[in-house]
Amino acid sequence: MSVKPATNQEYEFYHPDLFVMPENGAKPYLLGYLCQKCGKTWFPKAVPCPECWSEDIIQIPLSRVGKLYSYSTVHVGQKGIQTPYVIGYVDLPENVRVFAQLDMEPAELKIGMDVEVTAGVTRVDPNGVKTVSYKFKAVPAD
Amino acid sequence: MRKVYIVGAGMTPFGKFPDRPYYNLGKQAALEAIKDAAIDHRQIQAGFVGNVMAGMVPGQKVFKELGMTGMQIVNVENACSSGATAVNLGYWAVASGQYDAVMAVGTENLTGNRSGGTALAPDPDDIEGVQGAVMPGIYAMRARRYMEEYGITPEDLALVAVKNHKHASLNPYAQFRNLVTVEEVLASRMIAEPFTLLQCCPVADGAAAVVLCSEEKMRELGAKGVQINASILVSGKYKTEPGDMTVPEISERASRLAYSMAGLGPEDINLVECHDAFTIAEILYYEVLGFCGRGEGVGLLRSGAVELGGKVVFSPRGGLMCMGHPLGATGVAQIVEAVWQLRGEAGARQVQGAKVAMTHVTGGGVSGMDNAACGVHILTV
Repeated sequence: MSVKPATNQEYEFYHPDLFVMPENGAKPYLLGYLCQKCGKTWFPKAVPCPECWSEDIIQIPLSRVGKLYSYSTVHVGQKGIQTPYVIGYVDLPENVRVFAQLDMEPAELKIGMDVEVTAGVTRVDPNGVKTVSYKFKAVPAD
Repeated sequence: MRKVYIVGAGMTPFGKFPDRPYYNLGKQAALEAIKDAAIDHRQIQAGFVGNVMAGMVPGQKVFKELGMTGMQIVNVENACSSGATAVNLGYWAVASGQYDAVMAVGTENLTGNRSGGTALAPDPDDIEGVQGAVMPGIYAMRARRYMEEYGITPEDLALVAVKNHKHASLNPYAQFRNLVTVEEVLASRMIAEPFTLLQCCPVADGAAAVVLCSEEKMRELGAKGVQINASILVSGKYKTEPGDMTVPEISERASRLAYSMAGLGPEDINLVECHDAFTIAEILYYEVLGFCGRGEGVGLLRSGAVELGGKVVFSPRGGLMCMGHPLGATGVAQIVEAVWQLRGEAGARQVQGAKVAMTHVTGGGVSGMDNAACGVHILTV
């Protein structure tokens, strides 16, 4: 698995089992975990399968585009994340729902719209060190 | 299984008391509950104490200066349901025959444990917590989705806060006793869209306590208790697949188990203290607790059925919205309110002729779960 090396100022998100940012410039994607026994896909990784306890689970790339289930603009949030910031739940075709920050303006948001996964800064620690992780953004018009 | 009764109830006012540690608040509530029960404190055989923020062994610190030591003390942390969990454990300790008289206490000093300007959030090692989730944001997404599906407006949401402030204005234990208008609710500062400040339960410190005993012990005390007909505690189901956030399954499931245990239904309930942490929450709970159908919550609210004088009064004490939400204390405080209401001692906010009360708390942010834990009680006289 190829992941972008962390620089001094940008920390990779804490778990490489979640998210891939290819070095070759290809678009980033999330990783799902497909149970070979019961057919359920999990995000994040879960072994054994919480549903059937099978350990026969394979890693799969999740679809990059999903539907925005709901969203909010947060004005009072967590330390380390500049407000306001936008959050949402995105439903992916593999039947998983992902929580993430959205790199979008509040005016763009619409329930049911297509959004795609992207990489971006999700928080900044007190020393100014940035965490880079998955976010979603509007799918650009062709 | 034996019947279980509450023979004593006590609580502190809820508010911001930075100088009063949780054990000081808890001690006062316990003392008042014991006095109310007119029981010799040495007859209490066990104590169950709900608290979230204090750390190790809060119960021992509550009970030691009351001389209630040596007995079994169990400390419970179950997020917003910690207090209900304490009552649930006390219920089973008496119902099973293990003990004849026990206490449940919920106590919390939040002002000393929270940094200002931030919202309550899942733990930083939770995948949603690390990505920026906060509790107001999660409930805001429920609200946004519900607004989209059923066409309700911010004004509809604000009506919950208006109603609960009306109730709280009659409650000397409430933190916020002012009346508010829809316009004031919507004009307060934005927290997580669509929620403004007055649509979110505030931080509070406080404590509440109840004395639980068997029927035989109640007769011995010459007391007239309030019966606990149902005591249910469940956890959230872990799912990473899409689901309907406007139907909190954990609360629906817990309430159905409670109705079944009590042999009662929504039509029998006169008042409900529910987990109205945010305006949308109370509307969703009208529906999932079985008081109206899906999408009918706002209609029920606007009909007046859920306010004082109505058929089933929701949040007669002012709810979490106006009491504030001292996490570990809330579940017990709701039950104290139910006891006072059922005894006809609720003063200006009395629900006339109340015979059956329901209390419902749910909370704890864990990714993949509606909530971590939900407690539902049904009480009768």
